[in-house]
Amino acid sequence: MPEIEWNGMKIEVDEDGFMVNPELWDEKVALALASTDGIEVLNENHWKVIDYLRSYYKQYGIAPMIRKLCKETGFTLKDIYDLFPSGPAKGACKVAGLPKPTGCV
Amino acid sequence: MLEPVVSKGTSQKNNEIDSKEILDNTSISLLNDDLRKVVDDSLDGVVSLGLTKSKTENEIATILEKFRTGLNNLFSKESNWTFLKPLLLTLETCVKCQTCSNSCPIYESSGFLEIYRPTFRAEILRRLYSTYIKNSHPIIKKIRERGIEINFALVFRLAELSYRCSLCRRCSQSCPLGLDNSVITREIRKMFSQELGIAPKDLHERGTIQHLAKGSTTGMTPEIVRDNVEFVEKDLEERIGYRVETKWDDSGADVLLFQNAGEFLSWPENPLSLSILMDLAGIKWTLSSDLVGYDGVNYGLFYDDVQLAKILQKHFSIAKKLGVKRIVVGECGHSTKVFKIISDRLVCPEIPVEDAMTFIERIVFSGKIKFDPERNFFPVTLHDPCNLVRNVGILEPQRRILRCLAPKFREMTPNGFWNYCCGGGSGFAVMSSYNFNEWKMKVSGKKKISQIIDAFKNEIEDTNIPKIVCAPCSNCKGQIRDLLNFYSLKERFSLHFCGLSELVVNCIPELKEPIIDFSIL
Repeated sequence: MPEIEWNGMKIEVDEDGFMVNPELWDEKVALALASTDGIEVLNENHWKVIDYLRSYYKQYGIAPMIRKLCKETGFTLKDIYDLFPSGPAKGACKVAGLPKPTGCV
Repeated sequence: MLEPVVSKGTSQKNNEIDSKEILDNTSISLLNDDLRKVVDDSLDGVVSLGLTKSKTENEIATILEKFRTGLNNLFSKESNWTFLKPLLLTLETCVKCQTCSNSCPIYESSGFLEIYRPTFRAEILRRLYSTYIKNSHPIIKKIRERGIEINFALVFRLAELSYRCSLCRRCSQSCPLGLDNSVITREIRKMFSQELGIAPKDLHERGTIQHLAKGSTTGMTPEIVRDNVEFVEKDLEERIGYRVETKWDDSGADVLLFQNAGEFLSWPENPLSLSILMDLAGIKWTLSSDLVGYDGVNYGLFYDDVQLAKILQKHFSIAKKLGVKRIVVGECGHSTKVFKIISDRLVCPEIPVEDAMTFIERIVFSGKIKFDPERNFFPVTLHDPCNLVRNVGILEPQRRILRCLAPKFREMTPNGFWNYCCGGGSGFAVMSSYNFNEWKMKVSGKKKISQIIDAFKNEIEDTNIPKIVCAPCSNCKGQIRDLLNFYSLKERFSLHFCGLSELVVNCIPELKEPIIDFSIL
């Protein structure tokens, strides 16, 4: 399995770069995962997205629909791409420690 | 290492944007050294399957044994009654004229990499067939057939190679004998999946397995899908002042609609637009909330007959249980192919099936709904999903609609049966492991993105003019979205995409606001 190394920390990720053990997620891990997409700092807006994704995932076991994510956070899809260049699924979900969204999404 | 074609853009007249310049790109990054020690990338440096390298002698022996058994089963009538005939037809009849190679977008975009020739993997299978299965007279064998020996490197490379063709069948369109190399690719994938348990995670574990176990490839349960659909119905009502009321499991309905469940998560305006059209046309329709029934996809088509048949059976049994008169397949290319032309190879379909294109065409030209095409006064081009157009033959309905309802509609070149694949066909759109995504963006998707840019050549740089690629297929939309993002074309040129239903609903004047909102697309 691939690993990512960040500031002396090692995180096991799958072939898509998503966490293998999401239960090990914490804020530092989020920074490490974000660094793989070239994001160096997670600001308030990043956290707003991450927090919503995590709370939805905790309740339903999958990632929320993109429209729900936008509505609940108040961000447009463009804002989400500006925050997470790989997009809501491959970027934001990854940083939030969710498994990779599946299906034709 | 794979080197995609690097075309040095020559200066163009009138400073026109040249798609070649935008796509002029470097080669694909290799995996890092640690990964390369573990993961097999020996085919071309690209990895879609992630097969692990280090194997004990016993493990290797088992793999080779399974491969031998797999070959036998692939060529036996009892095991492969589904596709043996078309497989043998192409294998035995091809005269290797190479006409097909000139039409393959992946071969061309790779810079004519020999292993990507449509005939290359076919030739490997042909030689395996000749060496291990076919019992030709020794003299015939000597003069006419060439052999090949099974070894571990061949097995793993052949598995990877079966995921460098998007099954677009452009090669088949050009074949003077009407043969189909995509069948060979698909049958190789099938052998690996059914006999060796080798298949991309996104198609198998996260795809068909999840579809059958949880109800949808997206992981949505019946409760979640209903909750999500209700949410988008409310959201849409707030925006356009029209409330769609989805009917679930209505046994009095005439039409059971199979939508690709991913649409609700990523592009909800598409399925809701079709719902609006059906409502306004007075059609009695329903969705199913049964497991598997609310997700019309069938990834089995791409790689595995067993999974294909299981999902297909489930879909038809749900339709039968509801007692509907007709199944309508939403804007999803591979699902249309499964229902329309593959299903009767595996099951006995008792209910007629209609595709979204002809269905929408009949609604549009029924006279029941009034349209104002001026609401679609922006440049629109049409992407032809391979499965819908070349592979099932549905060419004209979507064009007839766009010619009437999109005043600035223009074709891409080439189009129709000669279209180029989006580069995400055969499941590629949902596969993104290791460096495979980069390969999709730089090799398999290259032709399409260059066609899109060229279709809007005259207004491409004016970002005040939003431009739309109409792609009536979920898989293609996913790939086109990723391409636009990868090459930053949305911001740079105001390039967007959507399905066909949205463009139709967008010009219904009785809706308070247009359904296409460029700020949320």
